[in-house]
Amino acid sequence: MLFKIAWRNIWRNRIRSLVVIAAVAVGLFAGMFIMAFFQGAINQEIDSMVQTQLSHIQFHNPAFIDDKEVNDTITNALAIVNRLKKDPNVKAASGRLITTGMIASSSTTSGVEIHGIVPEDEKLVSSISKDIIEGAYFAGIKKNEIVIGEKLAGKLGVKLHNKIVLTFQSKTGGLTAGSFRIAGIFRSRNSNFDQTTVFTRFDDLAVILGTGAGLHEIAVALKDGQKTDAVALRLKREYPALLVQTWTELSPQMSLLSGIMDQMMYIIIGIILLALMFGIINTMLMAVLERQREFGMLMAIGMNKPRVFIMIVLESVVLTCAGIPAGILFTVITVGSLAKHGIDLSAFSQALSQYGFSNFIYPVLKQSMFVPVSLMTALTAVLSAIYPAVKALRFKPAEAIHKI
Amino acid sequence: MGNIIESHRLSKTYNPDTIPVHAVNNVDLAVEEGEFTALVGPSGSGKTTLLNLIGGLDYPTGGEVKIEGVDITKMSENKLIDFRLKNIGFVFQAYNLIPVLTASENVEFVMLLQKTPKNEREKRAIELLTEVGLKDKLNKRPSELSGGQQQRVAVARALASKPRFILADEPTANLDSASTENLLEIMAKLNKEDNMTFIFSTHDQRVIDKARRVVTLVDGKIISDTKK
Repeated sequence: MLFKIAWRNIWRNRIRSLVVIAAVAVGLFAGMFIMAFFQGAINQEIDSMVQTQLSHIQFHNPAFIDDKEVNDTITNALAIVNRLKKDPNVKAASGRLITTGMIASSSTTSGVEIHGIVPEDEKLVSSISKDIIEGAYFAGIKKNEIVIGEKLAGKLGVKLHNKIVLTFQSKTGGLTAGSFRIAGIFRSRNSNFDQTTVFTRFDDLAVILGTGAGLHEIAVALKDGQKTDAVALRLKREYPALLVQTWTELSPQMSLLSGIMDQMMYIIIGIILLALMFGIINTMLMAVLERQREFGMLMAIGMNKPRVFIMIVLESVVLTCAGIPAGILFTVITVGSLAKHGIDLSAFSQALSQYGFSNFIYPVLKQSMFVPVSLMTALTAVLSAIYPAVKALRFKPAEAIHKI
Repeated sequence: MGNIIESHRLSKTYNPDTIPVHAVNNVDLAVEEGEFTALVGPSGSGKTTLLNLIGGLDYPTGGEVKIEGVDITKMSENKLIDFRLKNIGFVFQAYNLIPVLTASENVEFVMLLQKTPKNEREKRAIELLTEVGLKDKLNKRPSELSGGQQQRVAVARALASKPRFILADEPTANLDSASTENLLEIMAKLNKEDNMTFIFSTHDQRVIDKARRVVTLVDGKIISDTKK
């Protein structure tokens, strides 16, 4: 019956209760929407990094990681690539030659990381082939093709089919250079990547570097990204002489960012609920003070203090928790719709691309957050009821009964 | 018959350190089981304060109140609440029903506090409301009842806990003549047939006329005590 009383009591002042319920619903929606937005953005960022740069797993000569020396290639690299391509968990594997150097146009120079790739393999591992906005992904020019980012092209003042010169250290330690013609210009989600990374054919770069069939990196895309850790563990055992790393090991900051999202969610929801708490306290306090005579009567006829306390807490919980389903429903509908169509942030595209974010963010709602968020809200209701309840317990029945 | 209520040198003084007001001043009163007693006197004579002290709603500043030999003035607040639940029924001037509950639920509520099983609660609530002539109003909320009907629900609620006696503070003050007559008949009937002890404060001559004992208070002191 206490629950029945609590439920009916919250509707005694319909407008006031609806305001609190709406505040809880909107507060929860705001918190969960923000989290879904950031979760979506981070998931896209991770996908982008995995697709454009990292892939799921990478192989290196352990010495290469420290100094990126041209000589630190992977032994029997092509055989390993071919073996990986036959692995049932592997979607594609691509060998890369990597070196750093200078790219020069007729007007200026810039520092870049040069990737020598086999385009047919690379397009199965990386999404750069889909990001071409001018020209083609290694097609149409017979020798020394290069694909560069739009941002770098702008900086160098070059256009499609223009010539540029790459200068870098060869295997023998001396400086070497090669002239390349721009076959394609790409625009990925990450403008920094676009400005600092260029792609050439493996064969062209290997000739200039003098590395023969050696590879610096093997990038592996898996059929199921969820199995990355398990597959990497197996590959580490199979290739103990090589450094086998997952994307989380290669980019721990992204892994960390993904990991702290849940904690961020609880902090944001907590701040929203803290603000709501004052509204709930105010409402409950008004309800208690308006009903002094009723509480006086209840204590007079024999309702003990714990029961009075429980009644007020229950009322606060019922009032507050009535907003939870509304908040969750509103979030599910809104996020569900935006997850399909995306949130257009093209007005901020330049700033977003600096951090590798897409113009369209597709929010991701974790259903596992509903239970803890509901519990946090219920706890807020309980805490909000404490002061009004203590106030009610201090009423003297003889005085309270005669309050108007 | 033994005394169900006894007060000895009972006093309640408000503002003892500034301007003392002796609301109840050394009152000795004994009430036997089955009495139908009216506390009368002008406004400010101490009727309500005396009822509050007898009912354990307030603590005296002096003296004692014994209910069937138990001194309730020494009880803690929590024990006193429990004592009231088990032994005393209250009827208030302003009815004081729970507005969100129906007549039947209001009567059941006090039995719920006593942890009476649901079936028993429902059965007794119907019996009591029938007894006070509200069988057809079981599911009406207080706002749907007249003042007289609400006060009859309050009487039924007071009886629901099977108390040793009922204290009623100006029970007819807000009622019209017909409702007053009706309520008095019910109270008198309960007193006569069930031997329920009633102590009520009143200004109303019709109520005083029905009482079998009239205790008159002036300035917190009993100035007359008449049994009819």
